[in-house]
Amino acid sequence: MCGISAVALLLCFISAQCGSPDASRLVEHTAQSFRDAVLSGKTSFIYFGKHVNPAIKAFIEQLEMSAHALEDYGIVVGKVNCSKDSVEKYCTGEEVMKKTYLFRGADVLRSFDIDTVFDVNAIVSHVLFSVLFTEVRYVHTPAELLAVERAAKGKMDIVMGHIQVLGLPEHRALMEAAFVYGAKYQFVQTTGAPLLKHLGVADPTSVQARLWFLHCRGVAHRSEPCPHTLMRKPLTTINIHTFLQLMEAPLLTEAAVDPDEVKVVYNHLNVPLLFLFTQSETLQLDRDTAESVARRLRGEVGVVLIHRDSHRVKTPLKHNAAYRLPQEEVRYFSLKKVEELIDLFREQLFQGTEEEEEEEEEEEEEEQDDRWSSLDVLDDEVAESVYRDRGVMLDTEAVTKLTAETFSAAVTQNGLMVVLFYVKWDAVCVAFLQSYVEVDDALDDVSGIELAYVDCGEWTVVCSDQNITSFPSVLLYRPSEVPQRYRGMLGTGSLHRFLLLSQVPSPTSLSSSAEVLSFLEGDLYNTNSALSPVRVLGLYSPADTDVVVFEEAAKSLRGETLLGLFVHEEAERWAEEHSVTLPALLVSRGPGILREAHSLHSSTPQELISYIQSTTLDPFGSNSCWTVSSRGLSRVCSSTTCFGALTAGHWRRGVSLPTRAPPAGRDHRPVAEENRRWPGAACRCGLRCRVGSPCALLRLPGCYGRRSAWVRGSAEP
Amino acid sequence: MELVLAFLCLLSFISLVLSVPGHHHGDNSTHHHDYCVLGAGPAGLQMGYFLSRSQRDYIILERNAGPGSFFQKYPRHRKLISINKIYTGRQNKEFNLRHDWNSLLSDRPDLLFQRVSRDLYPEADTYPLYLSMFESELGLKVKYRTDVGRIRASDLAGNKSYILTDQHGTDYKCRVLLVSTGLWVPEQVDFVGSDLVEGYESVSTDPEEYKDQAVLILGKGNSAFETAQSILGRASRIHLYSPSPVRLAWQTHYVGDLRAVNNELLDTYQLKSLDGLVEGGLEDIAIVRRRREEGKMRTGKKRPATSSDRKEQFYLTLSELLDGHDGNKGANITAENLPGYHDDNFSLRQPYDRVIRCLGFRFNFTIFDGLARLPHSTCARGRLPAVTAWYEGRGTSNLFILGTAAHSRDYRTSAGGFIHGFRYTVRAVHKVLEQRYHNNAWPATRLSTSQLLSWILKRVNEASGPYQMFGVLGDIILLQGAHCEYLEEFPVQALPHFSALSGRRISEHGLLVVVMQYGLNHTNTLGPGRAESEWTKAWKSNFLHPVIYYYPTLPTEKDMRQRPVGWPLPRPNAVHHMVEDFLTEWDQPISHSQPLRRFLEYCLKTDLRAFYAESCFRLSLTNHKPPLFCRQGYLNKEGFVGNSHLWQHAREAGLMPAHQGSVIPADDGLFSEYLPHAGAAVTSTIDFDL
Repeated sequence: MCGISAVALLLCFISAQCGSPDASRLVEHTAQSFRDAVLSGKTSFIYFGKHVNPAIKAFIEQLEMSAHALEDYGIVVGKVNCSKDSVEKYCTGEEVMKKTYLFRGADVLRSFDIDTVFDVNAIVSHVLFSVLFTEVRYVHTPAELLAVERAAKGKMDIVMGHIQVLGLPEHRALMEAAFVYGAKYQFVQTTGAPLLKHLGVADPTSVQARLWFLHCRGVAHRSEPCPHTLMRKPLTTINIHTFLQLMEAPLLTEAAVDPDEVKVVYNHLNVPLLFLFTQSETLQLDRDTAESVARRLRGEVGVVLIHRDSHRVKTPLKHNAAYRLPQEEVRYFSLKKVEELIDLFREQLFQGTEEEEEEEEEEEEEEQDDRWSSLDVLDDEVAESVYRDRGVMLDTEAVTKLTAETFSAAVTQNGLMVVLFYVKWDAVCVAFLQSYVEVDDALDDVSGIELAYVDCGEWTVVCSDQNITSFPSVLLYRPSEVPQRYRGMLGTGSLHRFLLLSQVPSPTSLSSSAEVLSFLEGDLYNTNSALSPVRVLGLYSPADTDVVVFEEAAKSLRGETLLGLFVHEEAERWAEEHSVTLPALLVSRGPGILREAHSLHSSTPQELISYIQSTTLDPFGSNSCWTVSSRGLSRVCSSTTCFGALTAGHWRRGVSLPTRAPPAGRDHRPVAEENRRWPGAACRCGLRCRVGSPCALLRLPGCYGRRSAWVRGSAEP
Repeated sequence: MELVLAFLCLLSFISLVLSVPGHHHGDNSTHHHDYCVLGAGPAGLQMGYFLSRSQRDYIILERNAGPGSFFQKYPRHRKLISINKIYTGRQNKEFNLRHDWNSLLSDRPDLLFQRVSRDLYPEADTYPLYLSMFESELGLKVKYRTDVGRIRASDLAGNKSYILTDQHGTDYKCRVLLVSTGLWVPEQVDFVGSDLVEGYESVSTDPEEYKDQAVLILGKGNSAFETAQSILGRASRIHLYSPSPVRLAWQTHYVGDLRAVNNELLDTYQLKSLDGLVEGGLEDIAIVRRRREEGKMRTGKKRPATSSDRKEQFYLTLSELLDGHDGNKGANITAENLPGYHDDNFSLRQPYDRVIRCLGFRFNFTIFDGLARLPHSTCARGRLPAVTAWYEGRGTSNLFILGTAAHSRDYRTSAGGFIHGFRYTVRAVHKVLEQRYHNNAWPATRLSTSQLLSWILKRVNEASGPYQMFGVLGDIILLQGAHCEYLEEFPVQALPHFSALSGRRISEHGLLVVVMQYGLNHTNTLGPGRAESEWTKAWKSNFLHPVIYYYPTLPTEKDMRQRPVGWPLPRPNAVHHMVEDFLTEWDQPISHSQPLRRFLEYCLKTDLRAFYAESCFRLSLTNHKPPLFCRQGYLNKEGFVGNSHLWQHAREAGLMPAHQGSVIPADDGLFSEYLPHAGAAVTSTIDFDL
C-alpha cells in the first residue's frame, strides 16, 4: 500500500513539474521574512538576486517550477530581491548575482552557482542530493562500494545509481526515489567508470544512466557477495518505482488457475508475465527451472508457475508456457529450451518495438536510397535514348566538321553549304546528329549540297558570330546571300526534302507562257514533283514594282515551296483565265487538279510569306497530317477512322481534348492557317484513313470544312 | 550623343562657366572629355578598349612614358606568377581565358599574352611589352607623361564632374573619371627603427650581396617569399615575421595568398634548414642597431677593428623593452633592451644583417582633393578606397575605381585585385556606364525557355568571367515565361540596384543568378573526402562549382546586407548546386544536366523535358497545355523527329508508349515513309464549301 501511495506522490511530482506555474510557490522574501524562515528551522533554497538579465530571468522561471516540485519534499524555495532588501552576507555588491543557498535552519548546507542548478531537474536533483547527503552514499571505487555492501549485508538492500552527469532528469529521478525509499534501502550514487567495470558493464564509456539493485539483505554470510540486478529501462521516477516494487515481489509466484485468471502483484505494475506449466510429476524440476528463469528475468518479467493438476487449469497439454504482455491477451507457446525464453523476452518482446522502429528507419533510408537512385534514372525520353547510345560512336566522318579556321571559307564557297550548330551536352542535338548524318548519306549523289557541322562547345566564337542562341540550329549558306535558317521539322525526311527543294532557285523566273504551263503542270523540275506537288506562281505585270516583295518572300520560302515568277505581258491573260486581277497568285496541286487563284494585296514580304504559306497548305487535314504529325498520325490511322481511334479513346479514358474556342471575331479564320498554328487540329475533326494511306476528311458534326476547323466538345460522333 | 550626355554637357558647361573666375592655370589649356581614365595599366587599357569600341570620347592619362610602368619594376625578382597556360587541350577561346591570367579582353583573337611569352610564369618585362602591343594594335588614346597631381570635383545639383590637373597645370575636365592607378605606394608600418629597414621597392636583387647574411623579412606575402626565395642559396638564415600566419593560395583558393611557386622557404623551414616563420605584431616591435662586439666582456686588449667588427647588426626587440631609448642610437642598446635577455629561448634573439620590409602596396589617396576625396575601405588595413558594388567611389558619383584598387569588394576572396579578375569587372563597369550615360541597356541574349538549360550548361562550361570572378560576377537570367533574357557577368552584389544599373526589368516570373563558388566548409585541401562526387550531395561540393539561385523578386539592399556569412547572395527561394567536377566539365546527363533541369522546372513550374515529335503529337492531343518543348518546337512545325533506333531506346526505357492498336509494319527505311507519300493523291475529294 505504501508503494502505491508513493507512486501517487511521485506522479504528482511529475505533474507538478509540468504543471503551470501560475500559482507560484516561490516565496519572495523580505529581509525580515528571510530571517523568520531561517529561524523556523525549515529547509529552504534561496536565491539572492539584484539585476535581472535574460539568463537570470530564465533561471528564475526554472526556480519557480522547482518550488512546486520541492514543496512536496518540505523544502521552501524562495528568492530575495537584494535591490529592495539587503541581506547581509548574501547580498553581495555584484550587479549580477549567481549564487543560491540551501539553508537548513540558519546553517548553509550548500551554496550553488546557478550554472550548476540550471533548470528544474538540476535544482531538484542537487537540492535533494544535498539534503539527503547523509543517506545517499557517494562511492567512486569498487572498494568503497564493497564497504557499503559489507555494512548492509543481512540488513538492507542497496540501490545504486550510476549517473554520468549530475543535474539531468535521471539524476533527479534517482534522488526522488532516494527521498521516498531512503529509509528502506541504502542508496548509493556513483559517477565513476571503475564501478561499472566492477558490475560487469562491458563498455563503461557509454553515457547511459543505470540502476542496480544489490540484494544484500538476504546475504547471510559476510564473505558472500550481494547478487545484483540491473534495471533495463531508462531511469525515470516511474520505472525506478516499478523496478523497486518488482525487487520486493517474490521471485516466483505459484498458482493453480488458468493464466487469464492469475492475479499477482505484477498486474498493476504493467509488467509482462511469464507462465510456466507444471504437473506434480515434474514439480521440483520445473520449479528450479522457473526460479532460474525468474532470476534471470528479474525486474523485467514476473514468473508464475501454474500447477496443471488443478481442474481449473484448462490449458491444452500441447502448450507448456504462455506469456502476457501488459494490456494484451495471453499467448501460448511450447517451450523447448530456457534460452529461448530469455531470448524471447530480451530480444523479441522488449526490443521488438525498438527494432521495428529501427527497421522502419532502415526502410526509410532504403526508401531514400531508392528515391535517390530513381532520381538517377533519366526521365527525358530524348536524353535517355541518347544516353543508351553512349557506348556507340556515331560515324560522322562523311559530314565536314568545321572549325573557326575553316568556317568562313566553307560557307563562302560555291553551292549550298548546310551547317548544323550543336552542343554535345544537349540530347536533342546529339540525337539530331544521327538524322543529319542520314540526310548527308541520302544526299551523297546530289551535287551542290554539302553538309557540315560546328561544335559550339568548342568553337564558341563561330557560333556567337552567327547569332546562334538555340541548339540545334541548321543554317543554309549560299555565296553572297544572307544565311537562311531552316525552320522545319528536325527530322531526316523533312530536312532531306527541304534541301532538295532548296536546289531550285526561288523564285524560278519563267519567261514564256509555255514555261508557265510546264511549271504548273509539274513538268519543269519534275524530279521535285515527288517532294512537293504544290507549285506557286506569282503573276506580275512588267510595270509592277512590287515584284521585289514577291522575290523577297520567295527567297525566304526556298525549300518549303516551289515558287515561280512570271513577269510578262501575258501574265494578264493568265490572270483573266482564272478570273483574278494582277498581281496574282496561282496555286497548282498537281497535274489535272483545279488550280486555285488569288489576287495579291500583300505589301510586305512578311505578309506575303504568311499568305503563301496559308494558301499552299493542303486542304484541310490531308497533307498537314502527314508532314506535321508524321509518324504519330500514321500509327494512329491504323484503324479506319482517325477520330475513333484517337479522340474516342482519349475521351473514354477521361482525358479531355485540347479545345480552344475561336477568338472573338475570328470565326472565319481559314483552316489552313489554323492547321499551321496547331497541326493536330485537323485530325481531331475526324479523318478517315486507311492503313498506310494519307488521311481524308470525314465530315462530322462540328467540323465545318475550311471555314471552321474548331473542335468543339460536341464533335464526338 | 544621347540626351543624357547632352544634359551632362550642359551641366558641365555651366559649371565651367561658374568655376572659371580665379581658377586659371599656368598654360590655361583645358581639355574636355566624357571619360578620363587615369593610369595606363592593364585596367586602364582594358577600359580604354571598351570605350574605344563603343566610340566614346575618352582619354587615358599616364604619367610614365609607357603603359604598365609598375611592371617595369615589380615584381622585383622579375617573375610574374600569373599563369600563362597556353595549351589547354581546348580550342574554345572563352574557356582558354580561364587559364590565361595575363591577357586583356578584346575582340582580336590573337591579341593574347601568349604572343609575347610562352612561359607558364612569364618574365615581368614582357608585360609592359604586351600592354604596348595592346594599346597600339587597338589604337587606344593614351596621353603619356601626363602626371595628374590633383583631382578636384565640381558638384552641380548633385552631379559631380572632375577636374584633373597635370604637372604642367593643364586641366582635364571629365564627366566621368575612371581611376585605374593601381596600388603602388609601398605599405609601411610605423615602429621604432622602421627607418633602419630596407624596402622591397629598393632592396638589392643580387643574391650575392646576401652571402652568409642573416636576413629578417617583415611580411609573409608573395613579395616576402619571393625575396626570400631569391636569396635562399646565399643568405645564412632567413626569418619571416608578420602578424598573421602564412596563408597558402592552394588552401585558401585566393590567388593573393602565398603561391606555391614562391614557397620554397616553407620547405627549408619545415625541414629545419635554418629558415623560419614567426608570428607577431608589427606595431610594437623595434629594430635596433647594435655593434657586434658590444656586450662582450672587455679584456682590455685592444684588437684592431676588423671589418666584421665594425659591421653593425640589427636586433628585433619590443618597443616596451627600450625604456624610452630612441633605439636608433646603437650605442645605447644594452642586453637588457633585447628580448633574449628576458626570455632566453626567444625565437628571434639572434642578430640580423638586414631587415627587409615586404608589406605590399597601398592606393595613393593624396591626389584626391575636396569633394573628390575617396574614403578608405575598412578591409585591407585601409589600403584601398571604398567602392560600391558597381565600383563607383563611395560618395564620389561618376568616379569609378578600376583594377587592383577596386579590390576592396572581394579582398581575400576572389580575383578582383588581379588582371584575370578585373578585366571582367572593368567590362561590367563599362556596361554600367553605357546604361547610365547612353541608355544602352545591359546586353542580353533572348532565349526560348526550352533552350535555357542548354545555355546555362554552355556558360558554366566555358564562361571565364564568372569562373575567375567567382562569387562576384554572375550571370542573371530574367525569366519571362516562354522566353528569358540572359545577362552575362553582372556584379551580383549590386543586384538590389539591378534595374537602374542594367536598364532591364524583372518580370513577375523572377530571376535566376548563376555564380561559381567554392564550398564554404573548409576541408583539408589535400585530405581524403575533399571532393564530392555524388550529385545528390552537390551542396557539399568544396571546389569551384556552379550555383544557381532563384529569386521571385529582386533581393533588397537589406537582404544583401543580412545575407549569411560567406554567401555571395542572400538566401534565395531555391538554390541549386551543380556538383563539383574534377574536369570542370558540367555536361553529363545524369549528374549535371538532369538535376539542373529539375531545378529549373521547379523554378519555372513547367516541364522542360525534350520530346520526340510523336510524343508531342500525343501530348498535344491529350493535354490542354503540351510541354514547353512541344509548344516551342513541334507546334511551331519545328519538332524533333528522331529515328526508329532512338524511339526503340525510349520505348525500352518505358518513356514512350509502345505502339497502340495494330502496328504498322516497321518500314526500315525512314524515307519510304516520308518521301513517296506525295505520290498518292493527297487531295480530298470532299467538297468543303458548306
